[in-house]
Amino acid sequence: MNAPLATPDLDETILLEAAPLEPWEVVVWNDPVNLMSYVVRVFRTYFGYSVDRATTLMLAVHHDGHAIVATGPRETMEVHAQAMHDYGLWATVRKATP
Amino acid sequence: MTAPEIVSTLALVEGLHLLQLVDDFRELVGSERDAADPAVQRLTPSPYPDDVDASRAFADGTRDDLLDRRLLDADTVRLSLKDFDIDPDAVTEDAALAPVDVVISESQIDAWLRTLTAIRLVIAQRLDISSDDQHDDDDPRFGIYDWLGYRLEVLIQAADELDG
Repeated sequence: MNAPLATPDLDETILLEAAPLEPWEVVVWNDPVNLMSYVVRVFRTYFGYSVDRATTLMLAVHHDGHAIVATGPRETMEVHAQAMHDYGLWATVRKATP
Repeated sequence: MTAPEIVSTLALVEGLHLLQLVDDFRELVGSERDAADPAVQRLTPSPYPDDVDASRAFADGTRDDLLDRRLLDADTVRLSLKDFDIDPDAVTEDAALAPVDVVISESQIDAWLRTLTAIRLVIAQRLDISSDDQHDDDDPRFGIYDWLGYRLEVLIQAADELDG
């Protein structure tokens, strides 16, 4: 292996603070209409969650009244919330609590 | 090898009722839609219930598209119900119970699930259903609501089985 012809003299600091990634979250709320099997199916097919994870989330919605189903950038969370609305689920978007 | 599909068997009279419900729903979310209708609002909830400005901005940017998609879904369902597009008065009592197969292809399943769900949400809003055990046996609309729930449950099971 050849030695590099030139060694770049880099003095670079990446400022992570320049692009803060503030996490947001999608919350799905309980409603008396949607069937449990349907909610599990939506979580499973839309988010690609396993049956176990989708079921745990559905039960949290059912028993606790709501569950956080996704976390990430705000724009992405809005897309997810709209998809939930497409499926008739009641979803909101909020800043993730640290 | 055949394409994956679900065959749902409805009595003719069930199909006639379902087609009517789907057509009523298409009217609700169609071009004459009323954004102030609480049922329409239930289909387009705000992701920011505590923020009026953000809610309005989101609704302005997304509500019409979302309702357009509900209409497209309902059109898809209507297409698979075309065998029931007949004059209900011409159906004799015997014929009313005759079984009719409705074929739902894999690509149509989501449209079916979303549409049956949306129609149930509309009925629930009209009936003011706000808790799990609320029921009035004397109101025939609860019968329709329960029947739709049963049909949806059967369809979800079949769809889950199709996924393996």
